[in-house]
Amino acid sequence: MPPVSTPAVVLHAFPYGETSKIVRLLTLEHGVQSAIAKGARRPNSKFGACLQLLSEGTAQLYLKPTRELQTLAEFDVIVQRPELARDVDRYAAGAALAELVMRFSPAEPHPEIYQLVVAELDHLATVAKEELDAAALGALWGTVCALGFAPNIGVCARDGAELPGGTVAFSVADGGFLCRRCARGTATSKLTASDRQVLERLITGRRAEIGSLSPRHAAAHRRLLARFVERHVADGRELRALDFWQGHS
Amino acid sequence: MSAIEELIGEFAKLPGIGRKTATRLTYFLLKQPGDAARRLADAVHGIADRVRPCSVCGNLGEVDPCAICADPRRDTSVICVVEEASDIGAIERTGEYRGLYHVLGGHLSPLDGVGPDDLRIEGLRVRLENGTTIREIIVATNPSMEGEVTATYVRGVVERPGVRVTRIALGLPVGGDLEYADSVTIARALAARREMAT
Repeated sequence: MPPVSTPAVVLHAFPYGETSKIVRLLTLEHGVQSAIAKGARRPNSKFGACLQLLSEGTAQLYLKPTRELQTLAEFDVIVQRPELARDVDRYAAGAALAELVMRFSPAEPHPEIYQLVVAELDHLATVAKEELDAAALGALWGTVCALGFAPNIGVCARDGAELPGGTVAFSVADGGFLCRRCARGTATSKLTASDRQVLERLITGRRAEIGSLSPRHAAAHRRLLARFVERHVADGRELRALDFWQGHS
Repeated sequence: MSAIEELIGEFAKLPGIGRKTATRLTYFLLKQPGDAARRLADAVHGIADRVRPCSVCGNLGEVDPCAICADPRRDTSVICVVEEASDIGAIERTGEYRGLYHVLGGHLSPLDGVGPDDLRIEGLRVRLENGTTIREIIVATNPSMEGEVTATYVRGVVERPGVRVTRIALGLPVGGDLEYADSVTIARALAARREMAT
């Protein structure tokens, strides 16, 4: 069976045995795949320096639908994004994005998620430092939405009633904003009009309209996102990279 | 569980050793004459009992501070930061470096749950603040994405007036063929090009 060739992003890579690596790839045409890169850690390996975390390239994979671990024949790197490693905050955001996709991306091909991840990694690598918080939040909220877990921000998440103007309650448990009646007696985060606007822009992909966030606001938005992911997306297992991003940035 | 099964199980926990190899090693030992197996057991006992990390640099040895930290001939103004104690041996074999070391004990890897608090980075900062005059920190973490981001983090911690922070060069292996090198390595080598010595 000849190998298939597909654009792919390295989401995770770890050593296997003395000389090989196991990689988790987000592919354009075959979803998320685990593959063994035999001999990838040898000094004269054909993989060379190509299998770095968050690298993008063309993967040649021997795919067998019945197998959980595929074989990676080649990986021709196209973009490596070393800028992500020159800033711990950028790297933390990239790793959190990779973790979300790796853990929760559907098994079948999802080209929109692939395009989103590639675009967001490019953006994280190049965005101005003062806009990095908004970029990272936008990337992660965008991924949460693409995975099918978008929070409800148009109407009350519980009864569908119209939302009040100005300050509004966000309920992580209910998955979105609540009207005043539903918010009574419910554990919520109060978002001022400006915070609400920022969240709406992050979720709807209009982060260019946000600019920079103050450290305090950015931290609050990170906490909100982490709690939302933990409640609605996560499967009970730890999200280490997301925790690192939330705690470090 | 029989003694044979137990030993096979223990061997199989070692990196790069599967159950088949573990079985082969076990039966090899059983066939050895004299007290070969006992000597192996003593050696394993020895590293468990006597080897410990150096309280200064994190290198592994039988004395504390380690032989390198205690050597008065070493240049105490330079510290080379490495990921693992095993990296020290690789640098020492070059015979080109006479400074001290600092072992981080790994690299930053958010996906694996390894953050700055899991590495010996604070110990490095303390060495800088309490030790003799340090003129240079050489960051010799691996040339991987995780190694690079760890280097970035270390630079942020150690950067201060009067201390030069350098990174080991990345590029083509000596004796290799340019034709067969991967594009990433060639790009790094080009980016790190330098004037030719006359």
